[in-house]
Amino acid sequence: MEKAYETFLRDRARALSGAEVVLTLRDLTPGRRKYRGVNARCVVSSPPRAGEPLLWIRSVVGTREATACSVRIVEELPESFPAVPYSDFFEAMARAERR
Amino acid sequence: MTTRAPKDFREFLAAIRTSGDLLEVHDEVDWDQELPGLGRLSCERNGPAFLFDKIKDYSPGWRLVTNPIANWRRMAVAFGLPADSHIKRLYETYAAREAKPIPPVVVKDGPCKEVVIPADKADLFDLPVPMVHDGDGGRYVGTWDLVVSKDAKSNWVNWGMYRFMIHNEKLMTGFPRPTSHLGKMLLEGYVPQAKPMPIAIAMGCDPLSHLAAAATFRLGGNEADLAGGLRERAVELVKCETSDLLVPASAEVVIEAEVYPDRVNQEGPYGEYPGYRSGEMGNAICARVTAITQRRDPIWTLDTTGFMDSSATSTSITGAIAIQRRLEANNIPVKAVYVPPEGGIHLAIVSVQRGGAEVAQKIVNVLTVRRALISKVIVVDADVDVFNMPAVLHALATKCHPANGIHVVRYQGKANTLTPAYTQAERQTRSGASVALDSTWPPEWPADETPVRATLDSMYSPDVQKRVLARWNGLGLA
Repeated sequence: MEKAYETFLRDRARALSGAEVVLTLRDLTPGRRKYRGVNARCVVSSPPRAGEPLLWIRSVVGTREATACSVRIVEELPESFPAVPYSDFFEAMARAERR
Repeated sequence: MTTRAPKDFREFLAAIRTSGDLLEVHDEVDWDQELPGLGRLSCERNGPAFLFDKIKDYSPGWRLVTNPIANWRRMAVAFGLPADSHIKRLYETYAAREAKPIPPVVVKDGPCKEVVIPADKADLFDLPVPMVHDGDGGRYVGTWDLVVSKDAKSNWVNWGMYRFMIHNEKLMTGFPRPTSHLGKMLLEGYVPQAKPMPIAIAMGCDPLSHLAAAATFRLGGNEADLAGGLRERAVELVKCETSDLLVPASAEVVIEAEVYPDRVNQEGPYGEYPGYRSGEMGNAICARVTAITQRRDPIWTLDTTGFMDSSATSTSITGAIAIQRRLEANNIPVKAVYVPPEGGIHLAIVSVQRGGAEVAQKIVNVLTVRRALISKVIVVDADVDVFNMPAVLHALATKCHPANGIHVVRYQGKANTLTPAYTQAERQTRSGASVALDSTWPPEWPADETPVRATLDSMYSPDVQKRVLARWNGLGLA
């Protein structure tokens, strides 16, 4: 099966800008570790590029887009981001992106 | 017949098996949506709890139970009452036992210590944690849990029921609201000192301990005492491996962890108890596993959250009693309170001895002082049985003035971010509103002008009522 991830986005346009972005990806590989999370600096492509893992985009209420993109992982990041509890996670990711 | 409340989860399972409220499934079922889907359907159709003993990808040693007390029959059994007990009896039982707390006792060992897995070997994917709904942010550990935390400055120990999602082998994110007792402990006690906060997530305790954890309980109150009262016997607690926290010794699984004071990660979205997935994601806490302890043949528990889940019945009772106590403490002439589970913990029915605009406004003000979980309150006169929803709807439809009967309070920073009606912007600022729908007669209306209800007990003379009832019975009608 083709490698696939999903991600939940508040700002879809930012992820699809073609620039490197920081995302939390959920690994959709079947088995016990399905839905494992990984934070990564990556580039999203739509339509998907051959040879890259598929990426399904979901909205903040979990609605999945009808077609998949693809994702190229540039760098895996630490499993969490520095911020006070209950801080906005999307802002924490944006800060990590600027570094 | 009344028996003692089950002392642990397994005794509860035996009791609901006997009452016909547990269905055992021996075929292999997928933890990825299929198994939760069965639990979901059961909630929607008032069906049984399920016990699955063959879970895809996991060894036969694991079993899983769905929605332990998601209907009144199983709730009654949890209290040691007959399964067909009326809701009113469950409310009365809770209120009576809540008033007689019993402190826990500490024991040296317990079933939850049969297997101890240290941090370096702990792996959350070794637990058969289901993917509850398609489109959730991840797999949720905490759907029917008991989360223990301790205040940094006092002896206050909190039990809560909070959702936690798996990020990877050792990291979870969670959403105890910032206004929750755990959130308050974290933000006021640990974050200022940059100290990690120990927590313990206990799964598969006796059902009344989970009910106590889910209860709307006073700040500073120890839910372990409440659980003892509800069970009419002390809860046995045992010390955690990596902290001084105490957990129910009979738990099936305990995940010990530390909440970071300075880290965040993605959490949610999640299909929650109001019956929707509302997009409340991005503002959560982050916890790292420090140990896992469990029974040798553990049973995982799942509440397939959504319409009519276990939290709906739990909060129906605990929320209603808490509302009644708070209204009484504020000198509101309350007679009875009902939180219908169909209302997704957003609706309360309050009957009062004396109604009117002033009382209705005061009720909604009192119920939104610290945090605002209920957003609609129907206020009815004392002659309306709050448990009789047709009678409540009749009062609302006919007695609530469409303009003058609506009493709103707006707030910021304490709204229930899970309320589906709120916009994403309101969710982020925790802004919202609650409303009292005054369905009482204005007390200033003179009695000789107040409409008279057209029912047998109101619009017929006592003599005619007596004759009608005698004839009714004589006709063989129940």
